[in-house]
Amino acid sequence: MITGTAITKTFKQRGNVLGKREVPALRGVDFAIKKGGAVSFIGESGCGKTTLGRIIAGLETYDSGEIVIDDVAMSGLSHRHRQPYFRRIQLIHQDPYSALNPTRTIHQTLEAPLRLRARQTGRPRSWVDARAEELLSLVGIDPGYVLPRYPHQLSGGMRQRVVIARALTMDPEVLVADEAVSMIDVSLRLGILGLLRDLRERLGVSVLFITHDIATARYIGDEGELYVIYRGQVVERGSTETIIADPVHPYTQSLLSAIPVLHGLERPGAEQVVPTEALDEAQADEGCLFTRRCPFSTARCEAERPVLGHDGGEGGEDTEQLHACFHPRSRSVIPQGVRA
Amino acid sequence: MSRDSAAPEVRIRDLTVVYNTPAGELPAVSHVSLTLTPGTITGVVGESGSGKSTLALSLLNAVQPPGRIAEGSVEIDGLGDVLRLDGEDLRRTRGRKVGYVFQAAQNSLNPLKTIGKQLLDLGRSHDVEDLRALVADAKALLSRMGLDGARVLDSHQHELSGGMRQRVGIMLALVLNAQVVVLDEPTTALDMITQATILRIIREVHEERALTTLVITHDVGAVAEVADDLAVMYGGRVVEHGPIAEVLGAPRHPYTQGLIRAIPRLSGDISLARALPGRPPTLGTLPAAGCVFRERCEKRMEICETVEPATATYDGRSVACHAAGRPAPVKRREYA
Repeated sequence: MITGTAITKTFKQRGNVLGKREVPALRGVDFAIKKGGAVSFIGESGCGKTTLGRIIAGLETYDSGEIVIDDVAMSGLSHRHRQPYFRRIQLIHQDPYSALNPTRTIHQTLEAPLRLRARQTGRPRSWVDARAEELLSLVGIDPGYVLPRYPHQLSGGMRQRVVIARALTMDPEVLVADEAVSMIDVSLRLGILGLLRDLRERLGVSVLFITHDIATARYIGDEGELYVIYRGQVVERGSTETIIADPVHPYTQSLLSAIPVLHGLERPGAEQVVPTEALDEAQADEGCLFTRRCPFSTARCEAERPVLGHDGGEGGEDTEQLHACFHPRSRSVIPQGVRA
Repeated sequence: MSRDSAAPEVRIRDLTVVYNTPAGELPAVSHVSLTLTPGTITGVVGESGSGKSTLALSLLNAVQPPGRIAEGSVEIDGLGDVLRLDGEDLRRTRGRKVGYVFQAAQNSLNPLKTIGKQLLDLGRSHDVEDLRALVADAKALLSRMGLDGARVLDSHQHELSGGMRQRVGIMLALVLNAQVVVLDEPTTALDMITQATILRIIREVHEERALTTLVITHDVGAVAEVADDLAVMYGGRVVEHGPIAEVLGAPRHPYTQGLIRAIPRLSGDISLARALPGRPPTLGTLPAAGCVFRERCEKRMEICETVEPATATYDGRSVACHAAGRPAPVKRREYA
């Protein structure tokens, strides 16, 4: 179990003639990843979802807040003592073409971390090769074919499976998959998503899934939890199925409205939400972060910033999911299947 | 759907493009015939190695070595066979008659020059006499796409966001009044909301200017929203082509069926979705004879090993599959 409380992170951009600029990447984010669970971070580029994933994987520092791994607070530990905790969290790269060393065979790629692991756990050297084969079979590729080969001899889908196998060498409890399927051919994406689901079921690994494509979050298994992140703030959070079927935050609704309709299979949702302005034109820091783009913005939204809660707003009903909006209302935005 | 008579028809006939490799010349596009109906948007969807980008480049006769157009023709109304043009004639055609929005328009702009300077370069290289009018047209197009034209023309590419650069790419492709427009992966690397905006703009501009448009993509979703017709490519062949709602709603080719089943979607039963087995072929792994899809096909028959399926027409769409004659389309109920 990993929890984070009020995580903040601000990037300081190098100064130009106008002086330095501070960009808040995370504005006090809470999260919890249960053992064997699936948590998805959704949002546009620059929303902070990748930064949060890197913080959770121990690859990025944070300015304030607390991360607790298995009841141990990370802030109380020195860098050296934190390492064993963060080793349980492994990152799967977005780009399987650059994540593997092109001058090493897959055998060499897996051997190095497995030797380290063998030393750590007091296993004999002979365990290393057996484990490499076991891990490759686990991710669904033929060890005999893959082990002697170099990355360029493998397809994108196979490389991504090798990257996942390498992450598994450390016996992680959490896999952080950052856009893990965006560079994979469409016909093979479900294979990788299904593999992540399998690993949850068979090994009890938790999956932290970071993506801009909400639909893929449905395919990493049951009881998934979805965090919709906008400009460093979680604006809606709840079960994946609930948020997709019944989103209440206008930002979530505009993300879902933007997903293309497959004509012939689907018809568009009845109520589409389109932001009134493009992202880069509307960087207000007063009030609700989404207010400049929100078609339903009111005077209150411009003055005050809503916090995450179940509150149904004025005259509304309390919602199942958490949301940061003064005027939550469910709208049917997603495409509906066409019945024959 | 606008079928303006001003929009030209594009007829690709028996097009074969080969690449010179250590293993000899291998076909990236093999005997492709495809007609783009005047005034429509045709989506070409395919995975890596399907030959879709090579097909798009052929429309400009711009296949670069080690590639070579081996045979076939690309006839555009009012232009003739593009593959027979060369030198100055060919250069004038590009931009004036056929506009091209490159994959990652983000990276196809000159980082050292403002957008306005690049526009003037484009105008001069095509002997535009009234450059003021050209700038005015560019501004009008940009504001049509929701941008501040004057500001954008004064900007360098790094000052613009991905969605803005994509719109600049579309402006540069259209400003010389090309009537055939090719967009290569127009929404790759864009966020969902920006993608939706760009797709809407493509559709609207297409209709207002009575264009014949070709959109190349790996993402069915990105064309499903805007295209009238859909052509599905696999291993250098067009395996299915027809009206988009037909092709998506009742696909005939096993590859189309499998591809649609493999798309992560917001609605529909998750347990019915599955990835296609195997992987897309590369130039080197394409089978020399028989059907290129057979290794991944669940309907594979003996004839598929030896005979390449001819393209046949079934209820208004063309399909290249030996098994397509037996109707076993994906049940629509699966998606309900």
